[in-house]
This record gives sequence, C-alpha cells and structure tokens, in this order.
Amino acid sequence: MKKSIIYLSLVVATACNKLDVTPQGSISSDQFYQTESDAISAVNAVYGSLTYDPSDQSLYGRNLYFLTDMGTDYAAAGASAINANVRAISALSYDANNDRVALAWKQIYRGIDRANLAIDNVPSSSTPDAEKTRLINESKFIRALLYFDAVQLWGPVPLVLHESESLDANSLKSTRSSRDSVYKQIIADLTDALALPSAYSGSDIGRATSGAANSLLAKVYLVRKDYTNAIKYAKAVVDNRTTYGYDLFTNFYDAFNPATKNGKEHIFSAQFSKGQSGSSSNTGNTFPACSFNGFTQVETADIVSDVSFYNLYDNTDQRKKGSYSYGYLNPSTSSYFAYTGKPRFRKYVDTTYFTSLQSYAPINFPIIRYADVLLVLAEAINEQSGPTSDAYEALNEVRRRAYGLPIYTSGSTADLSGLSQDQLRQAIRKERLLEFVQEGQRWFDLVRWGTLVSATQNITGKTGVTAKDTLYPIPQSLRDLNPDGLWQNGGY
Amino acid sequence: MKIKIWTFSLLLTILIPHLTNAQEVNKAVINSELNGLIVDQTTKNPLEGVNIVIKGTTNQTVSDDKGVFHLKTGQKFPYVLQLSLVGYKTAEIKVDESPVNIELIPVSQNLTDVVVVGYGTQRRKDLTGSVVSVPKENLQQPVASFDNALAGAVTGVQVTQSSGQPGASSSIRIRGGNSITGSNEPLYVIDGFIVYNDNSSASAGGAYSGASLNVLSTVNPGDIESVEVLKDASATAIYGSRGANGVIIITTQKGKKNKDVVSYQGTYGWQEIRKKLPLLNAKQWASLRNDITGSLGSSAAFTQDQIDQLGAGTDWQSAALRKGQIQNHQISINGGDNKTRYAISGNYFSQDGIVLNTGFKRYSSRINLERTVSNNFKIGVNLIGAHVEQSGITSTTGNNLAPNSWVQILEATPVDSIFTSDGSYNYALKYSPNLTNGITPNPIADLTETTNKTSTNRILGNFYAEYKIFDGLVAKLNAGADLLNTKQNYYAPYKTTVGLANGGYGQVGTVNVNSWQSEYTLNYTKTIQNDHFLNVLVGYTTQKSNGELSRATATNFPSDLTTFNSLQSGTASLPYSDAYKTVLNSYLGRVNYSYLHRYNLTASLRADGSSRFSSSNRWGYFPSVGFSWNASDESFLQPVKAISNLKFRASYGATGNQEIGNYQFLSLLSPFNYSFNGSLVTAYAPQNLANANLKWEKTKQFNVGFDLGLLKNRVNLTADYYVKKTSDLLLNVPIETTFGYSSVLQNIGEVQNKGLELALNVQVLEGGWNSVHWNTAVNFSLNRNKVLSLAPSLDQFFPTLPSGTLQVLNPIIVSVGQPLGTFYGYQTDGIMQTGDDVSTIAKPSWITTNYQAGDRKYVDQDGNGVVNANDRAVLGNAQPKFIYGFSNTLSYKGFDLFVLLQGSYGNKIYNALKQQLEITTLSTNVLANQAGRWTTTNPSNDVPRATSSPVAVVSDRNIESGSYARIKTLTVGYTFPVRLTSSKTIDLRVFATGQNLFTWTKYSGYDPEVNSFEQTSLYQGIDYGAYPSAKNYNFGLKATF
Repeated sequence: MKKSIIYLSLVVATACNKLDVTPQGSISSDQFYQTESDAISAVNAVYGSLTYDPSDQSLYGRNLYFLTDMGTDYAAAGASAINANVRAISALSYDANNDRVALAWKQIYRGIDRANLAIDNVPSSSTPDAEKTRLINESKFIRALLYFDAVQLWGPVPLVLHESESLDANSLKSTRSSRDSVYKQIIADLTDALALPSAYSGSDIGRATSGAANSLLAKVYLVRKDYTNAIKYAKAVVDNRTTYGYDLFTNFYDAFNPATKNGKEHIFSAQFSKGQSGSSSNTGNTFPACSFNGFTQVETADIVSDVSFYNLYDNTDQRKKGSYSYGYLNPSTSSYFAYTGKPRFRKYVDTTYFTSLQSYAPINFPIIRYADVLLVLAEAINEQSGPTSDAYEALNEVRRRAYGLPIYTSGSTADLSGLSQDQLRQAIRKERLLEFVQEGQRWFDLVRWGTLVSATQNITGKTGVTAKDTLYPIPQSLRDLNPDGLWQNGGY
Repeated sequence: MKIKIWTFSLLLTILIPHLTNAQEVNKAVINSELNGLIVDQTTKNPLEGVNIVIKGTTNQTVSDDKGVFHLKTGQKFPYVLQLSLVGYKTAEIKVDESPVNIELIPVSQNLTDVVVVGYGTQRRKDLTGSVVSVPKENLQQPVASFDNALAGAVTGVQVTQSSGQPGASSSIRIRGGNSITGSNEPLYVIDGFIVYNDNSSASAGGAYSGASLNVLSTVNPGDIESVEVLKDASATAIYGSRGANGVIIITTQKGKKNKDVVSYQGTYGWQEIRKKLPLLNAKQWASLRNDITGSLGSSAAFTQDQIDQLGAGTDWQSAALRKGQIQNHQISINGGDNKTRYAISGNYFSQDGIVLNTGFKRYSSRINLERTVSNNFKIGVNLIGAHVEQSGITSTTGNNLAPNSWVQILEATPVDSIFTSDGSYNYALKYSPNLTNGITPNPIADLTETTNKTSTNRILGNFYAEYKIFDGLVAKLNAGADLLNTKQNYYAPYKTTVGLANGGYGQVGTVNVNSWQSEYTLNYTKTIQNDHFLNVLVGYTTQKSNGELSRATATNFPSDLTTFNSLQSGTASLPYSDAYKTVLNSYLGRVNYSYLHRYNLTASLRADGSSRFSSSNRWGYFPSVGFSWNASDESFLQPVKAISNLKFRASYGATGNQEIGNYQFLSLLSPFNYSFNGSLVTAYAPQNLANANLKWEKTKQFNVGFDLGLLKNRVNLTADYYVKKTSDLLLNVPIETTFGYSSVLQNIGEVQNKGLELALNVQVLEGGWNSVHWNTAVNFSLNRNKVLSLAPSLDQFFPTLPSGTLQVLNPIIVSVGQPLGTFYGYQTDGIMQTGDDVSTIAKPSWITTNYQAGDRKYVDQDGNGVVNANDRAVLGNAQPKFIYGFSNTLSYKGFDLFVLLQGSYGNKIYNALKQQLEITTLSTNVLANQAGRWTTTNPSNDVPRATSSPVAVVSDRNIESGSYARIKTLTVGYTFPVRLTSSKTIDLRVFATGQNLFTWTKYSGYDPEVNSFEQTSLYQGIDYGAYPSAKNYNFGLKATF
C-alpha cells in the first residue's frame, strides 16, 4: 500500500505541468523592441496605421475620405453606399454618434500610439545610431501628419505623446489641448523630421523624406496663416526640386498609375500593394471598389454630387478624364461600356485589373504631391504679397501640365496673369478643386479658406451644411467615457 | 470514465458479499427450492441483476441474463421475497410454490438510486445540489449530435441551434449567460474527460468558410448512456474555474456481466424544408425594377407587354433545395464476465442537407473495457474514435452584400434563368451586380461547384486504474487524451462569386487541438453505526491543451481541375499559422456527510491555477456548500400518506470562468504588412494593453429547491429558485480610443441571473386501464438577466459585430439595468403619405435625396426635428421570458409513443435577413411583401416606395417575436413480444420518428431557432441568412440478440 502511494505521488510529481506558458504564435511587447529588425517592424506599423485596420476600411484611401471629401461640396454618397453614417456625412446631417467620425479618431490615434511606442522604444533597441535616428524621425513625421489631420478635423485635441502605462480609469481619460500646443508639437516633430534623408533606394522608397517634412511644414504654416514660413518651407522643396528629384508628371494620370507609383511627383503617399493587409476581408486599397463596381449602371458608393463639378473642366484639361470617367473599355467584350447619369470617379480605378471588386488594386493614395506644394506656395505668396510672378509661376506650372503643355515654358495658353490678389486667390482655389478630386484636400481647403458653408450650401442633398461643420464632433462614444476632458465642439 | 468506475465499485461492494453469502447457504439444510423468472412489467423483457432476498434471512441471489433465478433454502413455503433493481420499484412478494413468475415495475428515471456527479456518483437521496438527468427518450432520437436532443428535455437549459445546416453548432445556456466578453457555453465532461466545447477548435478560419462544425457531433449520440446537467454551485464548484456556465456530464454505455448483447439499430429517413420565404416572382420583380428606375428618373427597363409575358420566372429558392436523406446505422456489442466487461460499438450517420451540396457524415467507433485484476485492483479504458465530415454553405463578400451563398440564392432575380437552353449553367445573369470579364456568377452553380468541406477526426480516450488501499479508501488514476484534428478544404472555381473576384480561390487549413488530462484522486467512504455516512474526496488534476492552426490560400488558378489539391498552381497569398498552449493545474476536495440519509451536507473546494493569467493572479479558489433534508423521512410526515417524498435543498458557492482565450494578460503584437514601393514588409503592432491584474470571472450562486413525490412517487415535482451574481467580469471595457485601443480587458462589472425552474413528472397510468403506461413530464424555466454594473463612468456601450454589413449598424446595446442581448435601434412610424406636410416630419439624417411621400417615417424620440442616432431606443431582447418542454411517453403492450413539445416565449430575434431582403435595388430580388409597396395609387403604410437606396438601419420592423412552440419529436414504435420459452431471445422494435413536425410561431424568417453568430455571448438571437431549417421523417428498426 505504501508503495502504491509512493508510486502515485511520483506520477503526480511528474505530471505537473508548468503554468508559465510563453506565447507561441505571438510576440509579447516585453519581448519586443530589442533588435534592429524589431525597430524596423515597429516603425513599419506606424506607416501601416495609414492603410490597415484589422476590422474596418483603411484610414487613408477610405475613412478619412468621408470626412475630407464626402463632407464637402463635390463628393457624395452614391446608391451603393450602404452605411447610413456615410450618407449622413454626405448630407451634412451627421451628428456626434457618427461611426465614421469615431473610426477616423480611433485610426488616427492608433497611428499616434504606434508612433509614440516607436519613438519611446526604438532608442533602447540594438539598432545602429544613424538608422535609429532615422526611424524615430520617420515616426515623428507620421505623428505630425496624424496630429495635423486631427487638429484640423476636431480643433483642440488631446495631445498624447506616450502610451499609457496604467489601466486606471483616470489615467485613461484625456484632455483636449489647445490648438497652439498641438501645432507646437507638430512643428517640433516635423522640424526633427527635416533631418530625414532626401531620398531612399530600393525597398525603402516610400518612407518619409526631408522633402516630405518640408512640404508638410509648408502646409502646416499655411493653415496657421504664417505665410513667411509656409513660403520658406515650400520653397525649400520647389527650389531644390532637382536635388530631391521632384517634378510634375507630364501625364496627369501617372500620379495614380500603379506602374508609376512613388514617381517624381509623389512626395509622400500611403502605400498600397497587391497582397498587402488592407482590412479583415480585403487586401490592397479598398478605395477603388467604391469608384468602380463592375460594368453596371448601378451607381457607385462614391459619386460626384453634381455634374457641374465635372463640367468645370475644359475639355482640353487632362484632369477631366484623369479625375472622372463616363465609361471604360470592357476587356472581356472589347466593347465600350458607357455610364448614364453622373460620371464616375476615375483616379483609383485600376484598368489593368477590372474585376467587380477591385479590392486588390495596388494604387497608392497620394498624401502630398509636388503639385500640392506648388499650389501651397502660390497661395502663401499671394496671401502675403499678392499676385507676384513667383505665385503665378507656381500656379501656372500646375496648369501647363494640366493642359499638356511644356511645364517650365512660361507664357503658354494655360497661363494666368494680370489678376488682382482676390482674382488670383479664387483662381488658386479653383485650381485646387480641379487638381485634387478624391485626394483628401477639399475639406481642409474649404475650412482654411472659410468657405465650406458658402461652397456647399447650394448643392443638392447638402443644404444642411452650417458653420458647425467646420469642425467635426468629438465622437459621442468617447464623450460618454470622458464628458469633461472631451468637451464638445459647438453646434453638436 | 471516472463515473463508470464509481458505478462499478458501488455495484461490486453491494454484490460481491451477497454472492458469497448465497454460496454458504447452499451447504445448509434444504427445505425448499424455488425457481423463478423476473420480467419488466411493461416490456416483458427478462431482467438481469435483480437482487432477491428472502425476507428476514440473509439468503439471497441475483437473477441471470435470462431473468432466471434459483434459490435453495431452509425456509418452507410460503415466504416473502424482497426484490430490488436499480430503475425498478422494490417489491415484496409472497411465494407459495415453485416456479414463480414475477413482474417488476419500472420507476421514472429521476428516482433511480445513483446519479452521476462531478468526479463520482452520489445517491440521489443524498444530493444537495441541483442535478438533473436527461430522460432516455429524449436521447434516443436520430440527431447529428446529442446537444440537439437537449432542447426542452430538462429545466434550466436553453438550447438554440445556430442554423439548420447539418452538423451545425448549438449554443447552450444553463441558467442564462453570465459573461459579456467571455464564453457562456457549459463545460462538458465525457466519461471523465473535461472538454470545453469551442467550435473554433475545428475551424481553420479563412474568409469564406462559413458556419462552423459542431465539435460535439464527434460523439455518437447512440453511445450515450446518460446525460446529467449540473446547475447549481454545490454541483459545479468542483469544476471550479470552468463551472460557472454549468456542467454537462456524458457517460457512455458500459458492458454488463454475464451477457453478450448484440444489437443493431438502423434508421432511414429524409428531411425537407420546413418553410420557404415568399419572394417576388418575375412579373412582380420587373414591375419593381421599373418603379426603381422611375424613382431615379431613368426610363423603364420592361414594357408592360414584357412584364405580362414574364409570369412567375425562376424560383431560385426551390431550385437550391432538395429532399435530404438521413441514414443512421449502429451496431453495439456489450458483455462481460466476472473480471472483464466490455462495450464495443460502431456507427455510421449520414445526413444530406436540404440545400444542394451540403451534408454531414459521421463514422465512429467506441471501446469501453474494464478488467478486475485482483480483489483490490481494477483497470480500464474508454476510447472514442470518430471521423466527421461537413459540407456547408460558404460565406461571401460579393457586391450584393449577401453574407453567404444561401442569401445569394434568395437575392437572384427571378427574371434570369438558372440554365441556358443547352442545359448548362447560365453565367450571364442579366441583372447580377457581379459582372466580371463578361461573366456573372450563378448562385446555384456557386452552391454546387464550390467545395467547402470540414473533416474532423477525434480520438478521445482515457485509461484508469483503481486501487483499494483498504476498505473504504480507494486511490484512482485517470489519464487521457483528446486529440482533435481538422482539415478544411475550400475551392471556389473561376465561375463563382468568390472565384471571379479572385481568379479561382483555393484554401486548405488544418487545426490540431490536443488536450491531455491526468487526475489523481483518493476517495474515502465510511459508515459509522449505520447512522453517519461519510464520503471524502481529494484530488489533483492537471490538463494541458496545445492548439496548432495553419492555413494556406492561393488565387488565380489557370485551371479549376486540381482545386484545393494544388495550391501551387495558383498565386499564393501569405500563409497563416498560429499555436497556443494552455495549462490548468487543480486541487480539489469534497466532503459528503449524511446523517440517516436524512440530513445531508456537501462541501467542496477547488483550487485552480491557470496559465491564462499572470503569475500574481494565477490561483483561484472556488468553494461551495449544500444542505438537503429529506423531510419525508421525519416521523411527523410519515402519517401523511400522500407524500411519498419530500426533500428540501439549499446551496451556495462560487464558480469561475476563464474562457477569454490565451495570453490575454500580455500585450501581444500582431503582424500585418505594409509595403514600400511594392515590396511587402512586416509590421508588428500591439493589439491590446497588457493587464497583469487579470483574474477569474467569479459567479456566486445561491440555490434553494425542493423535490416532492406524491402518491407513491407517481407525481414528482422539482422546483428550484436561484440567484447568480457574476462579478469581476472579464469585460472588454471600452476606453477612449485616444489611447490607441478601443478596449482593454479588465475584471470589472457585474451581471445577475435569477430564475425559477419547475419540473413536474406524472405517472398518469401505471399499467392500469388495459395495461397502458403513460408518463407525462412538464418543465418550465424562467431566467431574468440583468447587467448590474459596467466600468466606472461607463453605463452603456455598443459592441461592434465581427464584420460584414451588420458591423456598421450596432444593433446591440449593453446597458446597465438591461439584460444582455438587448436590441437597439429606430422605431418606425409608418409611411409618409401624399399630402403630408414634409416639413413637420423629422427627416432621417441618412437621407441624401428628397424626403417625400412613400418614404418611411421614424419616431423622433428627442423631438429635435431630425432622426439621428439620438433617436434610437431599446427594441427588445434576445432572452426569452421563459422556456418550456412538455413530453409524453405512452406504452400499450408492444406499442410505444413519445411526443416532445418544446418552446420559448418572449424572446426577440433581429431578423437581419428580412432587413436585407427589403432593400430594393436594381439587381437583387426581395421579399414578396414588396409587391404591396407604396405607390400613389396604393398608399401602403407598411412598405415604402421603390427606391435604389440600400441603406439599412436597425429598426423595430426587423426586431420580431421569437416565441415558438414546436413538436420537436414524435416517435411511434412497436416492439415484438418476447418468447420466453425459446433458448434464444430476439427483441425487435420498429419505429417511426419525426422532428420539427409542427411549429407555431409568428417569426417571419425561416426558423425562430437561429443564431447566425453561433456561440458568441453578445450577439445571440440574430438571423443573418442562416441555413434554413428542416423537418424530418425517419423509419427505423432495432434488433437485440
């Protein structure tokens, strides 16, 4: 009997399984941020926050578009738009419960959190110093980009610069910081990012560059109406375009052609590639499917609000067919399929990949194009000094390309000249509308100019626009958790 | 398995000394010899193992397998025999001569002496907890899985099948759901092996795989001897951290001594759709499409002449359906001698789905073997091996937003034909939104040409050894393994919806989930002076599970011929693999003490250490205590002849829940990719914030109840009242997304369930009135669930559904004071009519065009003139007010009849399928009610005008009553009389059985038993295109040799 008990206890002793179990299929954060490749993949995740959401559509190329384009005059929700929240943005009747607004907030701050993690943890990794600095500055660039989006969309926003280490309810409550302090951080981050390389090679092409930092600084100062600095940083790009290798594409559509991605006009883009994690069910850029839904008359989810925006273009303006389409050649039937009703958006449709879903289109979403920097420069100069030749030149370079003329030959048929300051102002504003269809610029532009209401209020289906729409509401789901720190914007 | 040992050890302790006594008597003076035969009064089957004692003596024997017994005694006739057998009424019979024929009367099962409990068995009389046995009649149905047979069988158990797909999972709630984020499925113990039923353990995932296979279907229901449901803390606390959702103990059939019984049971039948959804016919659809184009200002596609010629058009729904055959064959051989007992069985079950190219098959076998090595040493093995296959409908992500291939069928336009004139599939559907390269998918071909098959192999086996150290003290080792290996194959050829979007889509996946368990227990039993009965159990158990998953996908296949068998022919996507390991070490102890079998006490304690929590919070302690009092044994109740049994029970204890997945206390990084200039790069980002303080979710349950037997236990009533409070909820607490995450898993919040359970069992006729036996059983359960608190400054939140169209709708609210599963949305207010002043009607915020007559109106709850998210309200709840079952068992001579009526009352279903099928578009078919849409000449107040405006919002229109009552099962059988004189006995029973024959419900969808989101705790009661349900008819025979 004693023997059996001894045997039994032996079996018990040997059969004891250890309770310390290390994850096998995942890395935990305390195992991470140690090697160079950890540092690189942590920063890749900062970039990835622009294009990937495990359970929803991407920030750039989709969700941000609702706020920056559909909530303006020219873009609307088409018949295939199934989300009532999207339609409410299109109708300017959204409220603080709008799920797309909440999602944009979440995706922006998720990217900021990842940038914070990288900035705080990359220094302790075993990465060579120069690369370490570069990776941190890349993260600072993205953090600045996202804060720039946030502060324009919502005004004063919480300034979170480190990941929360406590789960205490109070430490998970934020406070809206002043616009000035947010801009101060943005400028500080971008100033650091000026130290980034001016260009990359091989599979690093597409990372943030000093040119991108200069360009974004110019845009930031333009919004701040600090025209001196806006001009300074825009010129740092324009005057050094050959150093950077920047130029306008001769062919406008090349800015959206997958074959010419990261080309001379692309200063910074959200990168999409075939096979890339897009969302839970789609890979690549999910945006194109909303511009093309097969050879069918069923209206796409994204559509121009009124055909007058299409009619704004001269027929000789290559941006007309580069931005809108009234039909495509159906490769399987070799016949032309023409749309009736409104034209469809064109920029993100990959004609080499005509499937009904288009979910795999490897088209980058341009965040800053060289044409944008030229128009920023023109606008800043005109606001500061009126219609100077520098302002005209910057604007006209964009116009010459649009009309297929030699870009740097002044005096072309497309050139504008002899305008008053206000006439030039209006010309630049119109040029931005023509140039940046579906590029996430329109709402920021209209709000910067103070013309959101006047531009939008007479468009069918958008008459609900009011002054409150120059800021989006703080998502109600967040205010429920933190009503004091996250006070609501006026009108909501 | 453990359970089996207990039963046998009990049997042995009872029988062995008795047999020895009988031999001694044989040597004494013999004054009479008695030969006798004992049969069941109802079936006239001979009864084996009846203990026969001559009253007032120690002289006794046991009947053999032919029901025959012999007694030699010094007594002279007449004398009185006392006869006893488990499951039969103890009888006293006066005998005057030999031979004698005796009939024993069966008693209803819940009065049998011994009941299986956690880690052992207990006399039912001594029980303090709420333990209920599933009646045999309910288990004997030809179902794919035994959980299908639990509906309506016992109190406190709500069973909802997720869909009608063969092999579909069920969600089971015992006394309501405790957890918000964690799982609410009960724990299963199969022959002593603990199995947590998680259907993801047989799913490799993947975008299109569809509904998951029910892992429990690997257990052949025909092998099951008994199913016990443990409900209160006194019964479940011995399972500690996994007991909070209740425990279901399954015991398979064991061999019996001295008898080799061979039996065969076969059934054959078919099933057909229970109900079809009414959809528009071609004529109606063409007219609708004209109205839509009219609303867009475009010209009509169909002229009136064309419409008139269309007729009914194609009925896609009927074309996708068939009569499905069901077959079930089972052979079992049970037997044994004094030292060895065995039970062997083999089973084949096949069920063709009512939808084309769907079905379920099971091949299984089982061996239970036990060997008595010496007087105090016994070993045994229980082994189940099974292979199951399921072919199901697939998930889809087509442009028509159908969630699966079945909804695509419903949405196919009736003006298109299925086949071309040459009989091949029509791949040029005129109105399909999925036109790619000149080809449209054909929904019927999607069904028949797509392979979506899950094959699961399970080996569940354990070995046990039992050693009697001295009288009363038994040591037991029980070690086993559960090996669950699944392979999933998926292939969508080029001309299918998925195939066209991907150029053909192939995927293979494997999942291996292997669990190892060892248990070491010591059990001490002691009786003191025939008054005090003590049973002490202590033990240590450890269980380890390893999971491995891999999945590979390829697209753009040049040929469809090799399907998923040659992924290298296509373009590979990134492969996926994952693995986990989880360990649970536990100490357990239990004391059962009874004084006079009248005052009973059970106290138990389990300590669980789990790898799922950080080292500082790893151990949890789960105590319970229960009392019961057999008041009917008290002298003051003896004079009350009507009361044959009265027992009061009370218990209190704590149990836990740890079903949150693995490694959740750590901050885990998940990989995904980004690209630089077309080259994919790997990115690692944390998915969650670490929470080292994570610990068990704790449920404290208080239970009181009584068991009342009247009129010699012909009437039995069991009533229970319970209050369960779950605290430290493992809750994904929403946090400000400002911090980079939308939620953090914390122990916070409380949920309460309280309820009442009543079970009444009446032996209406006991062989009287021309020897009719009639037993009727009613059970009634009500549960009230309420969220008591969430996190500080969090009164409510809207969980996001996993994915798909419903993701943006937020149909569910979790709110303090409301039950879980509360639906939230807009209240509709009829249709705007011509002449109504549109300026006085609140305009929905999602309307981008003119709001006009014919559009739906919504209630503007806050009266601000706009209908927006602030105007949503609680629309109902997925939890029933009560559930019930009503069964009747009748027998008359050889005939038997069993009817089970079962139902649910007061629950709501979110009919998301109806919501989708009421969205009119230019390319999809819709429900037939759209023919009555609003027009200027038909001012409907129910169906709005035709528009091409597919915006879905959750509204009361689609929150429907889910109450139902159904004849779940109806069985009629006839057993051929047994010839007693023959040397060979053959029992033959023929029977017919039908399931879901009649259903009474107002629910407009396919079936009120539906859960599109399967086992998830938060999304119960949602019907989003679930596989339609069937009714079935089976004919069978059973032969026993």
